[in-house]
Amino acid sequence: MDSNSHGNLDEQISQLMQCKPLSEQEVRGLCDKAKEILMEESNVQPVKSPVTICGDIHGQFHDLAELFRIGGKCPDTNYLFMGDYVDRGYYSVETVTLLVALKVRYRQRITILRGNHESRQITQVYGFYDECLRKYGSANVWKIFTDLFDYFPLTALVESEIFCLHGGLSPSIETLDNIRNFDRVQEVPHEGPMCDLLWSDPDDRCGWGISPRGAGYTFGQDISEQFNHTNNLKLIARAHQLVMEGYNWGHDQKVVTIFSAPNYCYRCGNMASILEVDDCKGHTFIQFEPAPRRGEPDVTRRTPDYFL
Amino acid sequence: MESSSHMASLPEDASDEHDHHHNHHQIHPDSAFASVPHRPPTKTSSEKYSPVDWSLYFDKEDDVTIPESNDVFHVYMAGSEGPVVFCLHGGGYSGLSFALAASKIKENARVVAMDLRGHGKSVTDNELDLSVETMCNDVLAVIKELYKDSTPAIIIVGHSMGGSIAVHVAARRSLPTIAGLVVVDVVEGTAMASLIHMQKILSSRMQHFSSIEKAIEWNVRGGSLRNIDSARVSIPATLKYDDSKKCYVHRTELEKTEQYWKGWYEGLSDKFLSCPVPKLLLLAGTDRLDRSLTIGQMQGKFQMIVVRHTGHAIQEDVPDEFATLIINFISRNRIGPHGVEIPGLRKPAFSKP
Repeated sequence: MDSNSHGNLDEQISQLMQCKPLSEQEVRGLCDKAKEILMEESNVQPVKSPVTICGDIHGQFHDLAELFRIGGKCPDTNYLFMGDYVDRGYYSVETVTLLVALKVRYRQRITILRGNHESRQITQVYGFYDECLRKYGSANVWKIFTDLFDYFPLTALVESEIFCLHGGLSPSIETLDNIRNFDRVQEVPHEGPMCDLLWSDPDDRCGWGISPRGAGYTFGQDISEQFNHTNNLKLIARAHQLVMEGYNWGHDQKVVTIFSAPNYCYRCGNMASILEVDDCKGHTFIQFEPAPRRGEPDVTRRTPDYFL
Repeated sequence: MESSSHMASLPEDASDEHDHHHNHHQIHPDSAFASVPHRPPTKTSSEKYSPVDWSLYFDKEDDVTIPESNDVFHVYMAGSEGPVVFCLHGGGYSGLSFALAASKIKENARVVAMDLRGHGKSVTDNELDLSVETMCNDVLAVIKELYKDSTPAIIIVGHSMGGSIAVHVAARRSLPTIAGLVVVDVVEGTAMASLIHMQKILSSRMQHFSSIEKAIEWNVRGGSLRNIDSARVSIPATLKYDDSKKCYVHRTELEKTEQYWKGWYEGLSDKFLSCPVPKLLLLAGTDRLDRSLTIGQMQGKFQMIVVRHTGHAIQEDVPDEFATLIINFISRNRIGPHGVEIPGLRKPAFSKP
């Protein structure tokens, strides 16, 4: 990449850091480059420490900016994001564009996994589609991004011992090689191993359970222990569930949930957190609260004209 | 059981209605409208909006008498096998709100839709006691009378006000065979916020209808129901003929039940989350989740589906889609006629090597 191209990209990143979206043409160019980079990555993308692991963002751009302020700028700090960049918050476009721009600019410094919201179907219900229409006047940018989401890696492996993914385990997956072998470039299916990785949740009950969410499974401590043992892992780090403190240990410290959208949906009152894994593989959680807001839309929703 | 006899004796039948309009033009020749050439519609509005009998969709109806009371609840039933999908309608609707969906669901499960107190063809001592406690007791009493000591697995489905009753019934945990809970388009936060507007909305509704066709037309044109086929079967049961006024009025006097409204929705979200069964929340058009439900959803405690291109009465506006969602919910959670059937799911077994 020549310096001029970096120059444009650096300008785009600084524009995005001010929460200003790029033009449709710029988004297209950026996503073309991102696709080339992402298609080279593995379904189980290897990542080196030190790295800071982050959970759901959901379009809360100002909280992502706060995350970078607290965790350090990219590329000064290496980052691993575990999906759900879009939907729900008001700035899905700016949020996902910034993360993709950082990926293109610093491909070795940032890893962006796929979450269950990085999907055509889900984004049409939970806001990203509507936001693209509102900000660009057409669905083109939504189409460009959702086509790119198909290339996002599904999981990452930090120093061969921390397995990172959005959701959780699958009864169809016993080893990491099982994951490495399937073709991920597709819309998130309604069932099957790829769906499970993005939808499953750990549970207090042992064994596999039907997920109350309507997709994926619940998995007990016995399942986590067996999976970690089989694959020589120390920890499964995942996101997907809101935890009031921003992080939550489960399964006797075999699983940790990390959630990085403070006061989720501008109404839940939860803390956010990120997990710093240092050179010596030590863990530090950093919690943070919502960034101070200026001029964000009122969160009161339209009341329906019926109740009967 | 005289299901549709009152419909056969409408004061104005279809042909009268048409003639009436036609005569109107002839009686007032000086009116500006007189110059409008008469164009016979391809289908008269009274045909388009004519009532349809329940028996087109349900297999049978019944009256359930509650022992040691004067209360008789009317129920509609469809299907012969599988778990029971027990449907509770919203305020001002009737069991027939589920007619079209029932005709589809019955291919995979049994459907029972009851007319709640003060609604449809149910008759009780106190038609205005629409407290959530009383209506819960009614539902449990009807289920007990229907099934005695061999209650099958029940998926309790409630729309709007009926959704609140469904949640309260499931949360009481007095009926161990409840195997699933489906709430249709009601959320505590937004329902509570809209209560203050309700008297106004009720009073701005059309109150008197010269015919059942007119009432069906008004509901469809006004947008409260978007599916004519459903309105034709469901609206007649929401009306009664007022002999003194010589017209149809609303069967249920909702405006007199305000004292109970708050009780329908207060604490509903936490109660919903506390129900120890698989839960599905169906919302029309947009996500209206309040704080408790947003947290609950984001912790994966229930399934939520936002159904697009539908009004408040999802089961009436898109009955086929609604039926499919219910059937998928039943099969995904493996609810059989006798309860949840999970062969070996809890075992830590990797199914594929």
